Amino acid sequence: MRCHTCAAPANVEIRRSRIAFCARCYPTWFRSRVQERIDHDRMFRREDRVLVAVSGGKDSLALWHALTRLGYRADGVYIRLGIGGYSRRSQEKCERFAEQHGLTLHQVDLEENEGFVVPDLRDARSGKPCAACGTVKRYHFNRVAADLGYEVVATGHNLDDEAATLFGNLVHWNVDYLGRQGPVLESTHPGLVRKVKPLYRLGERETAAYAIIERIDYILEECPMARGAKSLAYKAMLNSLEEQQPGTKYGFLVGFLKQGRAALPGAGADRAAGLRSCVRCGQPTTAEVCAYCRLAERGRRKRARSGSAAPDRLSRSGRAGPGPGAGRDAPHPGPDGGGGPRPAVVEPPARPSPSG
Amino acid sequence: MGREMRVTILPEREVREVRARTVADLLQELGLHRDAHLVVRRDEILTGDVRLAETDEVEIYPVISGGAR
Repeated sequence: MRCHTCAAPANVEIRRSRIAFCARCYPTWFRSRVQERIDHDRMFRREDRVLVAVSGGKDSLALWHALTRLGYRADGVYIRLGIGGYSRRSQEKCERFAEQHGLTLHQVDLEENEGFVVPDLRDARSGKPCAACGTVKRYHFNRVAADLGYEVVATGHNLDDEAATLFGNLVHWNVDYLGRQGPVLESTHPGLVRKVKPLYRLGERETAAYAIIERIDYILEECPMARGAKSLAYKAMLNSLEEQQPGTKYGFLVGFLKQGRAALPGAGADRAAGLRSCVRCGQPTTAEVCAYCRLAERGRRKRARSGSAAPDRLSRSGRAGPGPGAGRDAPHPGPDGGGGPRPAVVEPPARPSPSG
Repeated sequence: MGREMRVTILPEREVREVRARTVADLLQELGLHRDAHLVVRRDEILTGDVRLAETDEVEIYPVISGGAR
């Protein structure tokens, strides 16, 4: 197999497009795909400040790397979820990446600032905290972005993530979520920052290849809480189809976005109607108490019952003063993934000066 | 079909001895999806058609992430 650009022996094949690239040409192709999506879907402009939600995994770090190489002003935000050694190792990956590339990384520590950790949010039936974890992350990503004045939050959702979410929402006929699934989630409230997914047409294998070729040190291990998650089963099913028919995932997602979504309610935007302020945190929500505040309360109670010391929420450090901001976004939880106590943004101890 | 080669599957670094002629054969032999894995030899990612020798030592990187994204 030969490189589509220079005809050297290829390293990465894109089966759905029947092309391949060598390790020298591949990063350029990958970044050109990211740029093409940013432009085509009008995700953000050159002058915008972008906040990249990073987890230490390949997708978010590949996105951060690609955006900075493309010349965007992109900072990172990492949420310390408190999932034992996994969280510590992923935090280290993000900090090291930021340090190596001279980038700014904001952090929110759930245990220290909010009084709970993600394992406290396990669902009683499934035993998994994944859906709640999603709400927590979306809330803080949005809130940090709103507080610090970023125009847009970019996440590393890739083609496989988006196809699996679509599949799950179809299986359960979550019509409301289907209508809001897309690469751009417009802001419908001053406290809701626009959200974009520049990698949504690039496969998980393609982001991993980019990370390996660009020598990005990412966390390879899977989140221990996600083992047995439905999203993994959906991805395996889709990959079985892809094995036989390359392009299935792409056609499934892009076909939906082009042809199916417009027919559904609430396409591409957070619900604007009926948004009000959460009585506890002031964030936009459709309920009296937002989803985040309800989750946080549950987490703190669980923590108190299990005897773990809940930290003094008033003694948290960091900046990010009060202001509008909120949890939101599509796939699983609704847009009322509102607020909670102010998140403290923990800055890294030492930050090299930006070098692009 | 080639002879057995040493394969390390990340992230647990599980070591397997497998007979496979090409990278695509190797993944099929191990029952792994091509779209969910990358095969790496001496820091180089390999395409599915690359022929493998029994002296090769390759690593397999899973690329799938789950849970709330």
